[in-house]
Amino acid sequence: METILVFVETKEGAPRKVSLELLSEGRKLKADGYRVEAVVMGEASAVLKEKVLPYADRLMSLKDAALGQYTAEAYARALAEHAREVSPKLILAGATQIGRDFLPRVSVLLGAGIASDVTDIHWKEEPFKCIRPIHGGRALTEISFKSFPGIITTRPNAFAVEPPGDTQGEFVEKEIGVPTDTIKTRVLGVEEVARKKVDLTEADVIVSGGRGLKAPENFKLLEDLADTIGGVVGATRSVVDARWRGPEDQVGKSGKTVSAKLYIAAGLSGAIHHIMGMDTSKVIVAINSDPNANIFNYADYGIVGDLFEVLPAMTEEFKKRLAK
Amino acid sequence: MNIVVLAKQVPDPEAFVEIRGEGARLEIEQKFATNLFDEFALEEALRIREKQGGKVKVITMGGGKATEVLRTGIAMGADEALMLDDPAFADGDGYATALALSKAIQKAPFDILLCGKQATDDDRGEVGPMVAQFLGLPHVGGVTKLDIADGKAVAECPIEGGKEIMEVPLPAVFTTQKGLNEPRVPLITGVMKAMKVQIPKMTAADLGLSPNELGQAGSKVRIERYLPPKKRPSIHLIPGEPKEAAAEAVRILLEDVRVI
Repeated sequence: METILVFVETKEGAPRKVSLELLSEGRKLKADGYRVEAVVMGEASAVLKEKVLPYADRLMSLKDAALGQYTAEAYARALAEHAREVSPKLILAGATQIGRDFLPRVSVLLGAGIASDVTDIHWKEEPFKCIRPIHGGRALTEISFKSFPGIITTRPNAFAVEPPGDTQGEFVEKEIGVPTDTIKTRVLGVEEVARKKVDLTEADVIVSGGRGLKAPENFKLLEDLADTIGGVVGATRSVVDARWRGPEDQVGKSGKTVSAKLYIAAGLSGAIHHIMGMDTSKVIVAINSDPNANIFNYADYGIVGDLFEVLPAMTEEFKKRLAK
Repeated sequence: MNIVVLAKQVPDPEAFVEIRGEGARLEIEQKFATNLFDEFALEEALRIREKQGGKVKVITMGGGKATEVLRTGIAMGADEALMLDDPAFADGDGYATALALSKAIQKAPFDILLCGKQATDDDRGEVGPMVAQFLGLPHVGGVTKLDIADGKAVAECPIEGGKEIMEVPLPAVFTTQKGLNEPRVPLITGVMKAMKVQIPKMTAADLGLSPNELGQAGSKVRIERYLPPKKRPSIHLIPGEPKEAAAEAVRILLEDVRVI
């Protein structure tokens, strides 16, 4: 029986959504005879076990002093070491900041191929294919593995989270023994700026704005709409460069790549740099007073109009309807 | 302080990308630029040298037009350049590319290795961390601040809702991103110098690698096909006065597409 090893990334002790997306994909493959192994670095909280075990045959918590805080060196060593014992056909991880940072090291340690930032997997084809965007989404590539194990990191929101099953996997703890002299990175500290509930890359709903907002305080209009529909506010490069918004809000080539279920773009023209960061979103709504704005070429729905009228009206309408 | 920068010439972000031969290959408009993320690496290398002395060497892989990125590096102020030029390097995945680069880097001792967090053509973001692992070195990914002192580096990288501060002993690898610095525009004297400079080359044999470890042959993954991005159906423009249009948009999102 072949094994799929899913790296479970945590946020405040709970599994990240992208990890549950991968566990959902894994569980679908059980019907084809795969075994699903989940692995978490360090302690597994009660919440983590409760959320992960319905998807996996086994959840392994790797314990080592070196795994207390994230470093690419220690995570790569531990995961590679664990993979040597489990001998998976595939290692799956989210293409998050952490996932994209340390899985390439695992690839070298195991001599395994990697497909990064994958947006779809065609499991039923022989060989199965990973789809990944290149050139900022202007083309896609179909990737296959020449040998196994293979490593895949997937873009958050690329797959659906299926409801948990009624089976329960087993939970095991393992001392992994990362040789301390091999870990040269030291985490000096973590500074928190603002705690958003959801990171842009994992948000289902994003409301983004650009220069059309005219002043930083007008982003309040986007925040009001976002709060009403459970969304997060994003921004274009030009308003981040103008310091209207923090760099963590930037969507686009030099910022974040997002894949929201709903992306509302208001007062932004749709520069190619911005499109590259949001084009894989499912439904895109554009609001712009310029009917020729490029963003309308990439949107499903458009309103040609003044955002200072349209946005508050949308917020009001949502409030009215969602209160029912 | 010996600083190595890995840089790549990429198609201009606005260049046309067309799929040809039923997905067999890509045809890309011949407009090039230095990979945006590598510009931050080049700039940071020069700033470190300006403070601490030493040399900056820029390395790239690929023939022909690839020299442009090296000339840009020299024009900005880099001291040396090296091109890995051999048909055997062509069309490699991240693994094969990082293997060749790490062999070339190993040829001379260095303290700091900088490269962009990803190239904007392949968008893989694999080579920096892979080179670090091939060389057995620590790396810090996506740094936005880098301080070098006493044989150590303190690097900051943004994480969700904050930033993490890491310390690594040198030599070490850092991948760079927006926020680290503002890359300089080369002076005309630099451009003149860069036009004249002879760029040394290395082949697979110089690196002690056989062609079957490199390029497409040495890759662990295979590109089966190129596909066009998913086409959106043409836009539905919602007519009416702002209030009406807003109400209709909300109705569509709640009742028709049900994304909320």
